[in-house]
Amino acid sequence: MSARGERGPATSAGPTVIARRAQLTQEELHQVKWMLGGVLTLLAVWTVFYMDVAAWSLMVATTLTTGAALVWPRLPARVPALAHTLAFPVIVALFAGDLWLTSEVLPAMVRLGMLLLLYRGISYRQRRDDLQVIVLGLFLIVVAGVLTASLLFALQILIYTGCTLGFLLVITLTESLEGGQKPGPHKAGDLPTWAAHADWGRLFRRLREVSDWRVVTLGAVLFAGVLAVSALLFLAIPRFQLENSLFLDRYVSKKARSGFNDSIKFGDVSEIIQDTSVALTVDVSDRSQVPVAPYWRMVVLDEYRDGTFRFSAGLKREALGKDRTDTALRGEARPRMGAAVFWTFYLESGVSRYLPLLGEFERLQFREPQNFQLAAELNVVALRNEPVSMTAYRVEGLDTSGIVRDPAFARRWQERDPAVAPKAVMQHRVGVGDSERTRLEQIVAEIAMGGPGLAADEFTRRTEEWLRKNHAYSLSPRVPGGEGDPLVRWLVSHEAGHCELFAGSFVLLARTAGFPARVVTGFRGGTWNGFSNNFTIRNSDAHAWAEIFDESTGAWLRGDALGVAVADQTSEAQREAALVRRMDRSWSARFDSLRVFWYRRIVNFDQRSQVETLRAVKTATQNSGKRLREAVERLGADLKAWLSAPWDGVRVIKSFAAVVLMGGMTWWWIAVGRGLVRGRWLWCGGRRSDPVRLLAGRWLGAMAGYRLASGESRELREVVAELQRVRFGPRETWPEPEGVFRRARRVLREVRRQRRAAG
Amino acid sequence: MSDFLQAGQITEATQGLERLRANMRVTIKGKDEVVEQVLVCLVAGGHLLIEDLPGVGKTTLAYSLARSMDCVFSRVQFTSDLLPSDVTGVAIYDETIKEFVFKKGPVFANVVLADEINRATPKTQSALLEVMDRARVTVDGEAHAVGSPFMVFATQNPVDYEGTFPLPESQMDRFLMRLQMGYPQAVDELEILRTQRGGYDAIALNPVVTRSEVVKLQALAHGVFVEESVLDYVLKIVTATRTESEFRAGVSVRGGLALRTAAQARALVKGRDFVLPEDVAELVTAVLAHRLGLARQTSDALEERRAVGAVLKRIVAAIPTPA
Repeated sequence: MSARGERGPATSAGPTVIARRAQLTQEELHQVKWMLGGVLTLLAVWTVFYMDVAAWSLMVATTLTTGAALVWPRLPARVPALAHTLAFPVIVALFAGDLWLTSEVLPAMVRLGMLLLLYRGISYRQRRDDLQVIVLGLFLIVVAGVLTASLLFALQILIYTGCTLGFLLVITLTESLEGGQKPGPHKAGDLPTWAAHADWGRLFRRLREVSDWRVVTLGAVLFAGVLAVSALLFLAIPRFQLENSLFLDRYVSKKARSGFNDSIKFGDVSEIIQDTSVALTVDVSDRSQVPVAPYWRMVVLDEYRDGTFRFSAGLKREALGKDRTDTALRGEARPRMGAAVFWTFYLESGVSRYLPLLGEFERLQFREPQNFQLAAELNVVALRNEPVSMTAYRVEGLDTSGIVRDPAFARRWQERDPAVAPKAVMQHRVGVGDSERTRLEQIVAEIAMGGPGLAADEFTRRTEEWLRKNHAYSLSPRVPGGEGDPLVRWLVSHEAGHCELFAGSFVLLARTAGFPARVVTGFRGGTWNGFSNNFTIRNSDAHAWAEIFDESTGAWLRGDALGVAVADQTSEAQREAALVRRMDRSWSARFDSLRVFWYRRIVNFDQRSQVETLRAVKTATQNSGKRLREAVERLGADLKAWLSAPWDGVRVIKSFAAVVLMGGMTWWWIAVGRGLVRGRWLWCGGRRSDPVRLLAGRWLGAMAGYRLASGESRELREVVAELQRVRFGPRETWPEPEGVFRRARRVLREVRRQRRAAG
Repeated sequence: MSDFLQAGQITEATQGLERLRANMRVTIKGKDEVVEQVLVCLVAGGHLLIEDLPGVGKTTLAYSLARSMDCVFSRVQFTSDLLPSDVTGVAIYDETIKEFVFKKGPVFANVVLADEINRATPKTQSALLEVMDRARVTVDGEAHAVGSPFMVFATQNPVDYEGTFPLPESQMDRFLMRLQMGYPQAVDELEILRTQRGGYDAIALNPVVTRSEVVKLQALAHGVFVEESVLDYVLKIVTATRTESEFRAGVSVRGGLALRTAAQARALVKGRDFVLPEDVAELVTAVLAHRLGLARQTSDALEERRAVGAVLKRIVAAIPTPA
């Protein structure tokens, strides 16, 4: 795209054609500037979607007003002058008030930025204001980007950068068109002519008309080049967790929606919202290791009191170790034979501070040092804070059997004094009143069918069966009203319930029967993304189940009335079949695979994979060079062999014929072919693509500036006249084009030299 | 257009035009651009509408041209009571031969100056239609050819409204160009004050080209080569006037043809046998402005002319020049 001012007065007689490229008028440039400024404003204010900053109303207001001003550029003229006079004092006062009331700097600054953008969106902008729009937009986008580091952010900054480059170009063009003259301050209420004449349809048609594909292509190539260089830099620089070093983590909008917490309350059971957004993405190096029904354990809730299951303070104190800061930790699992299987977890922000795991593990590695606590016997890893961006960790030697060994608890359980209520062992307290306990005992008796010495696994099976028989599954449960414990009320009723009710009931029954038991929350299942070959677990896969302690094995068994029995998971064929059943090849899976690509290649870049990628790039480059060298060497060797082979008559004749043929073809090309291509260009079927004319036009364009500046020497005038003849004259009268171009090259060089000499 | 012009023809034409130019400059001082446009109009075989105040040299211009090329010049002062027959001529009964004889009007000349054309009634103005278009007058079913070459110089004062009849669009469309003379520069006016004696009748110019040479020039102009991209450029300009919301209606096909022909003539006047895009761009206002009217109301005719000119300039600036 280029632009030029109106033509100057006609110069004296003589060839003075000035080759003009596509042009936008000053008015149209102003219109493009207005449009791009509006788009930048909108892109910037929409970042509020990512931030937990109370600025939604401002976002809506800015979107509406800027949108309206975009569609009807005459609107800002109607803003009363008083509004312009008061705008800045009011904005400053609002900012000061905001700071004073909230005493939070960043949200206040975000709101200030949006207010300024809102004002800029509804007033005609000078150059300074345009630059302000860019800076304000950049501020909002960078803040949002740092907070999220998401794929969407990458896309947004890409569009924003492109628009900004275009915007700056248009500003420069407008400036140069106005000849550096500073326009007077815009008076409020005045309608600029460009706004009065704005017609977007016509503008877009004009933009299409004036777009020079060469400039557009060049621009696109340059932009792609900048992107490529940025990507290379990104690969090379060391990674660090930006938000850890800033104070921004409080403003991320994405909060837990799957409800993971340290407690589950049953009294006020609410419907579980089906949030289908991705919560966890898992990459596994050996897909045959994926269990049929994976249970991604996160939190253990042991204490039941007042209708609430919670992670007891005692257990926290006892099991969760000290705060550690490290990049890796060792788990309880023993190293096993065979190739190591790597599980890479990408936990989305806002899900939980507890990391999902399938079971015991040998080693867990983060991509950078993390603050965490490990409860080895519970097999739970908790980060100190809920992460504000995606957290990636790699786990080796993950036990997928679903059985959690717990020797420490087994020892304590054996050494307990049965006479004393095991206070320290919350996993054994039923936590309900006496009357309810009697009801529970009745149910346990019904389940045990008179057999008191039931083993844990058998009890689990029967209890699951009993629960399934008496309760249906529903996401909208109903707990019967009345006095006493809500969970027991539900248990003795025949109402439908969700997983938390099932798990809680199971634990109460198990504890009544004398088994230590606890509720575990996490995710169950997930889908296998057929495009990127990874497990995708959504927030809607959130689940709660029970674990019951089996004294005989010293391990915790899973009890899930809504799930699949552990024994079913052993066969590899079954696992594969289950994986195929879980295969997701939908459009959302396609989109998720993009996210996984982003995570795999960009975000989850620990030192090793970074080095690997760099090495791969280097190897690919080296290999290409090597192959090229080899090809040249091979060609040389072939030629040498061919030359050193014995020469006989036939070979000589053949070689001679080949030389003659090539010579003939070269001659034909010079004499006829080139002329045909240049002169007729038949297969392109058009005079517009006549390359000789186009070439002459390009030479005329190159000379346009010099002809005016250097006072038109005789030779310059002559060569221009010849070029004009070649460009616009009848073909029959053309001078020899090659000669004209040669002469043009020489004259142009000469003129440039003279001009340089003249300074 | 495969029959291109020979170099000799161009040289001859250039020489003839140079003589004409030099001769006219003797009487028309400091108005080289106007002289150039008049020559373009002459070579293109078109008619000229000059809008300006009285006494800026319109008649002198027309007379100088007529004298320079050995042509018959006639002047008609248009008034509201002027009849069509006063312009074209009338058939009167000749007693001696007992039949009607056509008595030629003032249009039977080579250069006709129709002074203050908008003062005549539309009926009289229309009497010029045929003669401007076909260079002949039909009276009583009999066609009488006017002079060859034939060129109408019409003048009108755009400021005065009293007692005028604005030219109908069909009439406007028949003028190839509309020009403004404007006041001369101070130094030129001083020269005029120093040298000029008497009216235009006192102008003594020797003819420097013959009538047949002018006719040949006009024929030559039609042979000037117009490259396809330049034709495309003309088309784009004409089309843009039709899609422009500021105009009541766009330029007619005749307008497009006029622009092409005028560009060819300008190329010849500049000594070229092919048209450059600048030939087109330079003539857009002169050739198209009088064929266009604004869609909105303006305070006066001058304001309308300025606005039309500005929009045309915008259109030309907006259309990419073939390169």
